[in-house]
Amino acid sequence: MSRTKVLLVDDEVEFASALAERLELRNYEVRTASNALEALGLIYSYPPDVVILDLKIPGMDGIEALKAIKIFDSSIEVIMLTGHGDGFSVEQGLKSGAFEYIIKPVEIGELISKIDSAKNKRNKGNT
Amino acid sequence: MGNSDREDLRFLQLNFIGRILAGFTHEINNYIAIIKESVGLMGDMIKAGKSGKNESRQYLEIIASIEEQIERSLDLFRYLNRFAHKMDMPRVSFNVNESMEELLALMNRFANQRKIRLETDFQKDLPSIQSDPAMLQFLVFCFVREKLDRLDKNSRITVKTARRDNSVTIAMIPQGNRVEAETERLYSPEIHEHVIRLLGGEILEREDQGIQITLPVNMPDVSSGDGG
Repeated sequence: MSRTKVLLVDDEVEFASALAERLELRNYEVRTASNALEALGLIYSYPPDVVILDLKIPGMDGIEALKAIKIFDSSIEVIMLTGHGDGFSVEQGLKSGAFEYIIKPVEIGELISKIDSAKNKRNKGNT
Repeated sequence: MGNSDREDLRFLQLNFIGRILAGFTHEINNYIAIIKESVGLMGDMIKAGKSGKNESRQYLEIIASIEEQIERSLDLFRYLNRFAHKMDMPRVSFNVNESMEELLALMNRFANQRKIRLETDFQKDLPSIQSDPAMLQFLVFCFVREKLDRLDKNSRITVKTARRDNSVTIAMIPQGNRVEAETERLYSPEIHEHVIRLLGGEILEREDQGIQITLPVNMPDVSSGDGG
């Protein structure tokens, strides 16, 4: 079974690299991006199964980035990362096609469970 | 000052404090998230039996990163603590540079979010001034926020302090392309005028040269009992 490809988008580079490494130790294939432009570039060159997207990334509103991802490939599942579970942004994100959201700091077990569910949904959608 | 203006001032001050707290909690949350992932990563590496020489170097790097996040958190806690205590002191002798450094540290999140750099150009050996530091920070916050909203990304705002005769000046100088922005309620010239009158100073705004606040070293007694 192929490894799940994850794109982690967060401008806190140290946070993203530590989390990416933790996911890799759990056999996920992870790339990181620190802004919306870099993320969209990677989505074209390396289409992931799941994107973990910080809603407060520089360069573009997180919701706009989410919409751009969904326009490129609606089957890519997006899990929003939010600092404080900001109700309005989360609601906007879910309306715009996000699969789920997770609050920072993340519980690794909860994140993995959400990534796996997102991948399953993508697989079902592609069959 | 009428009741309506007084309510506006109260609203803007609460808005100011709310935004500073929101920025602070967001920053601290990010530092804690980095610490949590770093500690989690070390735990994962130990469980995976990674204990060679290369890994030792990585452990040390992770520990250094954790220490850095703790230092950054402590700095921000100190700034917030000093900021909070300024509310207790409506008229006190204080150092403008320290007060601006503290405010800008607490505002850094907003600037980063818009990819704008906040820079300082402080005159050393500035005399302490007798004034209301919380009110001054509120005023500078309003002006810097306005500039942040009206500048394109990759711009910068320099906050410059200087001594001029028996006054201290604080200039907020934007550098970068302007963008159209909706005017928020935060920007109320009437309120700014009222606040600067309370501080006994004056505001000078010049196209493309930013805003300059001039404050006397000794604040004249202009209390009118409605300072907020």
